[in-house]
Amino acid sequence: MKAVWLQRFSCCGNTHSLLNHEDIEFLFGEIEFLYHPSLSTEQEEHVVNKVLNGEIHLNILIIEGAVSRDDSLIKDLASVSDFVVAVGNCASFGNIPALSDESLCGLQFRFKSWGGLLGDNFKGKKGLPVINLSGCPAHPEWIAGTLLELKRKGSIELDEWGRPKKFYSSFTHWGCTRNEYFEWKVESKSLGTAHGCLFYKYGCRGPMTGSTCNIILWNGVSSKTRAGTPCFGCTEFDFPRENLWETRLFAGIPAELPKDVPKRAYIMISGIAKTFTPDRLKG
Amino acid sequence: MKITKEVLLRVEGEALLELDWNKGVIEDAKIILPSSRGIEKILKSRPAMDALVITPRVCGICGHAHLMASVGAIENAMPKVGLSEKAKLVRDITLISEIIQNHIKWFYLFIVPDVLKFKSIDLLTPLKGKRWFEAVKVSGLTTRIIALFGGQWPHSSYAVPGGVTSDFTEREISKALSILKEVRTFFLEKTIDMQESEFANSLKKTHYGFGGDLGIFLDICADYNLVDMGKSYNRFITGGEIFPCVEPAHYTGSRRLCYMNMSCVREIKGEGYSKAPAVRYRDLPYETGPLARQFLSGNAVVKSIHKKHRDSYITRVVSRVLEIGVMCIQLEEKLRELYHHIDEPSYIEPSEDLKNLSGEGAYAVEAARGTLIHRLTIEKGRISEYSIITPSQWNLGPRAGGLLGVAERALIGLDDSHKAQMVVRSFDMCSVCTTH
Repeated sequence: MKAVWLQRFSCCGNTHSLLNHEDIEFLFGEIEFLYHPSLSTEQEEHVVNKVLNGEIHLNILIIEGAVSRDDSLIKDLASVSDFVVAVGNCASFGNIPALSDESLCGLQFRFKSWGGLLGDNFKGKKGLPVINLSGCPAHPEWIAGTLLELKRKGSIELDEWGRPKKFYSSFTHWGCTRNEYFEWKVESKSLGTAHGCLFYKYGCRGPMTGSTCNIILWNGVSSKTRAGTPCFGCTEFDFPRENLWETRLFAGIPAELPKDVPKRAYIMISGIAKTFTPDRLKG
Repeated sequence: MKITKEVLLRVEGEALLELDWNKGVIEDAKIILPSSRGIEKILKSRPAMDALVITPRVCGICGHAHLMASVGAIENAMPKVGLSEKAKLVRDITLISEIIQNHIKWFYLFIVPDVLKFKSIDLLTPLKGKRWFEAVKVSGLTTRIIALFGGQWPHSSYAVPGGVTSDFTEREISKALSILKEVRTFFLEKTIDMQESEFANSLKKTHYGFGGDLGIFLDICADYNLVDMGKSYNRFITGGEIFPCVEPAHYTGSRRLCYMNMSCVREIKGEGYSKAPAVRYRDLPYETGPLARQFLSGNAVVKSIHKKHRDSYITRVVSRVLEIGVMCIQLEEKLRELYHHIDEPSYIEPSEDLKNLSGEGAYAVEAARGTLIHRLTIEKGRISEYSIITPSQWNLGPRAGGLLGVAERALIGLDDSHKAQMVVRSFDMCSVCTTH
């Protein structure tokens, strides 16, 4: 399985995220990286030309960073690759670079709009649209897991944002150590404490952000919410939203509720939870 | 006279090198940074706290330093922010860890592959060699220390005005010490092949005998005449503090002065080929980074190498590699000290609500590549102006006011474009930071 990794408008954070993978040697043994700008000693041009003139059949084209709408090289490479993978929120949705520059976008999206550089209808040679490994940055397990599954099965199941379901159909707050506080609607009274939930006051997006952050953990040991920092929703198209540390309230309840929870249900459950909160959680 | 243009390999981000040749010698050099992401622009009018999430995204390898500069600048704009000793220690611990992971990657992934073109060594070959993979692994392990206190790396936002968000226990400290032991062992056994006591003593000596991978590297440099290339202005600057081993100072080429006056740091518009403005201290270019830090803090080995080879390629590389060991010593002391402060609060709520605040703040930190400065103006809790000066702007920024950039000047007189790339990489080039 041959892969080429190119960078465009990025901070290189996905590269460094990947390098934290515990089994990096195994991964590089399974997937042959013909080119990566931080790791290779060969010139990008040499490798890219071999792909374009048919000398090398490229299995996976991986792009890190937002792209310019006139990036013809990526278009050409995408048209001859079995799979195209956007790694990180910049390549997926445009993210920070696209906020300040109209001409930048993701590979198949610009924020929530389909299109991007490759267009609505783009499909790689094996029939999948762009595989979006969103996240700022993407977790190394999402990157490695996707590449290995493509090698093993030749396909991977995607959600409506082009993201592998196995990594993005759960929520960041699955596995969060603050879940009991979430259930009983107990907010964190201040930052710097392991108690209380960050959803009610500090803007945490854990209940509506697709990820496995709290299940597999970051760097093998922790996560933002475990370290007392709210989830900022960095795997979603609208990252970075404005006013990231504060929950917007509407008539005393969060203006945005956990995904698919109707307002009426939320208010009823809140009432019951707040009435019966165990004292040990109130602290 | 001919002009060549090539893509710089194995640097952070995208950069081109344009070289003017005269009879086989580089007569002029430009480091071209074609793209910028406009991060300062998107911060405008956002609540000040948003900067803590957005500025780390300037850089995937030193984002944590940006977080520290951001929180420092906001605190500087606020009246009286109390910080517990615990919070201060944790901020230093994570910053130092980020420097260590950076230097390990830089040496093994970016620098060593260059000399393998002169003499191939399987052990060190990128994507194949056993040591190359060990280095990636140890560097990844180091980032775990940051995650223990900050939740994740890259891109955490756990430092806030008034402290840090994490409420950890002794377990995290012990775990971090155990990881550090592994990192230090790798450095001592593999990178320099020295006993711990030998390394500590070597820092006080004026002669050196490094073995290990650094020794192999130095031998190749000696055999192929690479030792003295890459000299520049021989002026160094450090604006941040890592107590007690690094403090603000600068060296003018003849005198060491024990301060850096932030009001004398200016960004000036360079020539259009680079999206980055140039940075000057009292109107002059200065080199920042590990060489500056180690030289200014009186590292005897670095000073003795500098005496012989000035600010050359080899001095720059050795300074950065040795800084791994110096920082490991600091990290251990700070982690052990942290046990004594475990019962302090992680966070002390600032007396004034940031939402009502108007003011100006500035803060300098030492990032892996050198002095990083954030400055901001806040009006009623929102950012009206944000300015970031990165270490790579000092070192790799363009010419301005008739003076070449520091790295540009270091390329003049070289006779080979591979050597030119090596010299640029000796500054640990980060184009994503430079243009941000």
